[in-house]
Amino acid sequence: MTAPLTILEVKGLTKSYGAVRAVDSVDLHIDRGEILGLIGPNGSGKSTFFDCTTGLAEPDTGKVLLEGTEITNWPLNRIAREGRMLRSFQKTVVFKQLDVEENLVIAGQMFAFPSVASTFSFGRAARDRVAGLRRHARELIELTGLGHVAHMPAGNLSGGQQKLIQFASMLMPDPRLIMLDEPMAGINPKLIERVVDTIQYANREMGVSFLVIEHNIDVVTNLCSRAIVLDQGRKLCEGTPAEVIANKDVREAYLGG
Amino acid sequence: MNLTEPYQSDGARGVQPLRLVLVLGLALVALCAPLVLGTYAVHAAVIAMIFLLPAHGLNLLVGYTGMLSLAQAAFFGLGAYTSALMSIHLGTSFPVNFAGAALMAAIVAVPLGIPALRLRTTSFVMCTLGFVIIGQAISKNWISVTRGDMGLSNIDKPTFRLLGASVEVAGPVQTYYLALAIGALATGVFWLLVRSPAGRNLVAIRENETLAESLGVPTWKYRLAAFVIAAAFAGAGGSLYVHYISVASPLMFQTIYTTTMLIIVLGGGAGSITGVVFGAFLFVGLSEGLRVTPELRMIAYGLCLLLLVFKFPKGFAPLLQKLWDRAGGITRKEGSA
Ligand SMILES: Nc1ncnc2c1ncn2[C@@H]1O[C@H](COP(=O)(O)OP(=O)(O)OP(=O)(O)O)[C@@H](O)[C@H]1O
Ligand SMILES: [Mg+2]
Repeated sequence: MTAPLTILEVKGLTKSYGAVRAVDSVDLHIDRGEILGLIGPNGSGKSTFFDCTTGLAEPDTGKVLLEGTEITNWPLNRIAREGRMLRSFQKTVVFKQLDVEENLVIAGQMFAFPSVASTFSFGRAARDRVAGLRRHARELIELTGLGHVAHMPAGNLSGGQQKLIQFASMLMPDPRLIMLDEPMAGINPKLIERVVDTIQYANREMGVSFLVIEHNIDVVTNLCSRAIVLDQGRKLCEGTPAEVIANKDVREAYLGG
Repeated sequence: MNLTEPYQSDGARGVQPLRLVLVLGLALVALCAPLVLGTYAVHAAVIAMIFLLPAHGLNLLVGYTGMLSLAQAAFFGLGAYTSALMSIHLGTSFPVNFAGAALMAAIVAVPLGIPALRLRTTSFVMCTLGFVIIGQAISKNWISVTRGDMGLSNIDKPTFRLLGASVEVAGPVQTYYLALAIGALATGVFWLLVRSPAGRNLVAIRENETLAESLGVPTWKYRLAAFVIAAAFAGAGGSLYVHYISVASPLMFQTIYTTTMLIIVLGGGAGSITGVVFGAFLFVGLSEGLRVTPELRMIAYGLCLLLLVFKFPKGFAPLLQKLWDRAGGITRKEGSA
């Protein structure tokens, strides 16, 4: 049991878009088994922070370490595949024409097959692997309450249901860390509960750590033991949700100081 | 829902008698057709089955991976020249030339695909069109090898050598059975390919490349693989073509070849294997059939296409799917197909 306590460590991350410093020397760490909240006003750089740590965008400076391995500038697919660190997108995306089950099978494939070449196979072994993925997918579909729509094209489902598909997909590969970009936005209250429950379940039973961007402060309080506030690209403060809410600077930032 | 054809379980398992009759009937028709059809119709069927090969490749790109490539005609021509040159200079038999043509197209596709696949959408389309134009320029100007505009002629009919004996496949009827065997084999291979886990990853790329990346799919490698495999299918088609018509010339890079492949795939139904097979016979048949009015041929062909676009904007695949479902006794709930 010598695994490091910190699962993700980000040091001095900076990213500019033209004149805009979207993320400005941000340090952050996530402990193993933690659910960390990331909050901040619109345009404060939360999504950009995600993009730069998961390989969708290249940071200007800074380092990203996953369990001690430097993964800065690894491409998105490698961070997902080798790092088992998965992310969602603020604007929900699913494979629209494929049914829910196929969405999840795809999510698991690169983890069940050792190489690109091995996916070009139609033998018994490959079929058995896919069958295994399908069984796993069905379990997660039940877990997220999508059982009744499992064979509907994902694009025909509601925005909330699509968020659940996205979330269930990320659970397929037995992930270490999941980064969620506003998983509750535009979801009705009943589904919010379901998403919160599922995050807590994955955290508790599957040992997944989380970094969650969320505007709903009740959800953050409910879910996270610690939260970090970004404002104009900088880290404004960090602490327990209660401490963060009480912070004067945070109030000013949100009220547009 | 034709684009999801292989990826949705339709709930029906086991052998459906009506479907079995349908499949056996079609197989019987395919086997007996040359016995009843006239020479010209048999010739048209041969051409259709030859074009089926590059069309399968194009379907892999357009229908499964979501990339519109016009380069299939370039690889078709490359395969034809490769096969012709092998047969002329090495005297090799048809199976060797056929494999050589596919392999050559695949090899050349790698250095072409690497830069081209960095481009997206329209730039990619223009770039692949460029490959066809370059192919034509090379075939016209590398005279010492290609004999320029004169082309390579008198190329052997498909020849098989077995234990010292040599069998030549000559004439439309014999070639029909050869093309049928190759077409069926290629369709089978294609079917396995798109149903493999890799095929599913290609569809994921078509549906949303960034999402696929975020789930660990190295999309760049898959897109290159699809481009190379598609080229191999086209090269193989070119080989059969050149041994059938026995001439390779720069005319093979004309727009009509690209257009025919595109129409087969888009008109048949991108993302559907049966649609593309159907499309190959329909559109090649249409084009050949209209030769009876040479002056009006292209105009009539164009009008037919317009009609089809308005009547069947998604190609024939949805129609075929409906037929198939009915044969299996299934009524789909989502009426959106
Ligand atoms: N691809 C891009 N090109 C140019 N500017 C960008 C890009 N992505 C983000 N930005 C800018 O960076 C800043 C931070 O944006 P970001 O999306 O990270 O904020 P956010 O905290 O996620 O906001 P929200 O709560 O609205 O989602 C904004 O000023 C935005 O305009
Ligand atoms: Mg955002």
